[in-house]
Parts: sequence; C-alpha cells; structure tokens
Amino acid sequence: MQPFNYYRPKSFEEAFQWLTKSDHIAVPVAGATDLIPQMRDGVLGPDIVVDIKALPGMRELRVVDSAPCCLDGTQCLSVGAAVRMNELARSELVKSGWSLLAMAAASMGNEQVRNRATIGGNICTASPAADSAPALYALDAMVLIKGPSMDRCVPIAAFFTGPKRNALQPGEIVAGLCIPRPPEEAVSHFEKLSRRKAGDLSIVSVAVMALPLGNATAWRIALGAVGPTPIRALESEGILSQGWDDESIDRAAASAYGCCCPIGDIRSGLEYRQAMVVNLTRRAIRAVLAQLPATA
Amino acid sequence: MLHEISLTINGEAYTVAVRSHQTLLQVLRDQLGITSPKRGCENGECGACTVLMDGLPVNSCLVLAPEADGAVIETAEGLSKEGELHPLQKAFVEHNAVQCGFCTPGMLMSAKALLDRNPHPSEVEIREALVGNLCRCTGYLRIIEAIEDASEQV
Repeated sequence: MQPFNYYRPKSFEEAFQWLTKSDHIAVPVAGATDLIPQMRDGVLGPDIVVDIKALPGMRELRVVDSAPCCLDGTQCLSVGAAVRMNELARSELVKSGWSLLAMAAASMGNEQVRNRATIGGNICTASPAADSAPALYALDAMVLIKGPSMDRCVPIAAFFTGPKRNALQPGEIVAGLCIPRPPEEAVSHFEKLSRRKAGDLSIVSVAVMALPLGNATAWRIALGAVGPTPIRALESEGILSQGWDDESIDRAAASAYGCCCPIGDIRSGLEYRQAMVVNLTRRAIRAVLAQLPATA
Repeated sequence: MLHEISLTINGEAYTVAVRSHQTLLQVLRDQLGITSPKRGCENGECGACTVLMDGLPVNSCLVLAPEADGAVIETAEGLSKEGELHPLQKAFVEHNAVQCGFCTPGMLMSAKALLDRNPHPSEVEIREALVGNLCRCTGYLRIIEAIEDASEQV
C-alpha cells in the first residue's frame, strides 16, 4: 500500500485538525474493511489516515430517552459509528428491540469481516447494496454528523446521495446513529439475495416492517442494491396500508420494481434483478404477515 | 510513520516498530516470522490470514499494524501446547482435512473461535462460521467433520 501516516485522536478537535490539514488527503478509518481494499485498488490514496475508534461515544450501544438526532419523547437506540456489525448482530438489546437491524448486520460479509466492519463505515462507503441500509431506512434512522464547525442530524435517506456517495462535507465524521424504537407490536423481516448463500454482496435486499396501530397497519418497505441509493418503496407501502390480500400483495410487490431503477452488473443481469426485486418483496411481505397476529 | 506497538502473540509479549501502512499480516509474517497466517487475497475474502485478535477471528490483512497495539493475538502456532496438538489439529489430521494446507491455519483459528463461543455447534453453525474461509482443495466436508469431532473433545 502507498505509505500514509496513521493517527488515533482521543478528541474530535484533534480528529478535525488531521482531517482538514491543508495540502494533505486525509480519510477517517474505522474497521478498515473497505478502506484497505480501496487503497489496494488505487481508489483511495490518502497520506493521512485518522482512526476514529477512540473518539468519545464511537463504541457506544445503548438505549437513550433523549439524544441529539432523537425525537423528543421517543426511545432511541444510540449506536456509535464504530460499533461493529457482529456486535449489532449478536446484541440481545438490538435483537429484541430493533431486530431488523440485527438481521441485516448478520447478513453482511463473513465472521472475520463482521468482527471489524462498523455500521458507520457501512453507511459512509454508501454502496447502494450496503447491507445495513434497508433496515436503517425502514427504521427511519437518523445520522449524527460532527464537523469542525458544527454538528448536524441527517435522516438516513438523505445521507446516501448516490452510488458510493454520502452527505458528509470535508472534515466531517459520522459520530453515530439514532434509531427510534419500533412499537412492541411491530414485526419485521429482511431478505437478501446473493450469488452465494452467504459472504457475498447483495443482488437485491429487502427490509419490511409492519407497525400495527389500532385498526390500521403502517408499512415500511426498503430496498437495497436496486438503485443508485437504497430506497423506500413508498407506493408499495401505500398499497399495503389500505389492506392486504393476494391481489394487493402482488400489486405491492410489482410496484416495488416500479419505484426503483436497477442495473445489470457483475452480480446480476438487469432482467434477473428486476424479476427478483418483485419476488423478494413478495416473500418478505408474506414473512411479515405470517408473524402478525391473525386478524378476526 | 513509525509506531512502537506492544502486543501479546500466543502468550508472549512483543514490542515491535511498525509503519502506519503495514498490516498486521505483514508484521506477523515478515517481521516476526510467524508465518502460519497466509497471504491469500489480502482483501478480506478468503480468510487465509485469519488470526484471533482479542478472542475474535479477524482478517489480519485488514488490520493496520498500529491498530494492533495492546492486542492479544492468537495464531495456529499457539494452538499446540508443549508438543501436544490441539484437539482441532488432531481432528484435522485424523479426518484428512488438510490437502495443500494453505487454508488450514485460517480454518483452525476460525474453528477455535467458534468452539470458544459455541462449544457444540450444529453443522449449519460450523458452515456459517467458515463462510469467510475458502478452501480450493478439500470440498470442505472433511474440515466440517473434523470440527464436529473436535467439538466433542474440547
């Protein structure tokens, strides 16, 4: 690898100093599972690498009643950017209260990668196929960004701005995520299609959550790897919120295809991906319905 | 940039000067002569470089050397104790789970980590734990059988 200098700041101020050093190319590093391959491929050539794992709050995983980026009165899961994918996948707290996130984190990479890769890194790399993204979109996660001049909160859907592009400005770091707790009755399911059963990037991924609210049910459907960014299938959500039967489930699944713009790439031809987004959405919807208490 | 790091490898304390842009794999193999972790893909996909870092299996090709400061590292060299093979190593031998041997150190470390956290894994759980360890020779079956066998001994 091209040589660089590595720093491990203990304070955000120090981190920003390194990240904004003029006449240098500086990048933050967390798990390094994307950074090192990108450097080997020549995609990135920094001369300064700033390890953000020792910064305050970066390794935190806990429930908070109020936090920056957390709506007042909502309990949220506060996830530091340097929390590892296996920590999310195996945490009893996450599995019980935010199961969609645990499922998504468990699907990423392999055991060795998950022990180093972080949720912050996953969203900062901003692959349209990012494994955590459909879950974060369905859970309406908020991203806490810290920068040299200010802190700000960005909804996850605004954080991904294009293929491998995110909303960070120069010098900014993702400090963490704030994810509202879904209601107790919420039910969710995550599906990931890839060439291998595991250990591969997704061809299509779908996260579905149903939130029973009195007489009505709200739906969240998020898709990965089928557009320049992950997306919410708002039209599909609307169809199901009117009620569901075989016909409307099929319509909702078909509409999931309509709301996104998949491409053919090394992992899948275009036609296959288009067909699979429909199938996976239908499968995930049915899996969620199977978990809902039977209605009279 | 040079960093002086202190780490424990297979129970022994080391202090070593490393460069920012080296990986733990490079330090282990090229500076310390600990050559069981192998250079396979150097991209985190094949698992030939798998070591345990603070008890967890990681791809040492994706750990920057300065990050290993303070870490407890275990490699296949540390599995046998006083000339006695670890039950996993014995099982690999008995089950013919080694052909060219290139994947073997990584397989052993992933397997050890699995048995440390799940002493009696099912076949599915073994397969899931080995997703990140590729083998081009054996077809995996004897590796899985060896781990199942060892799980009864450990």
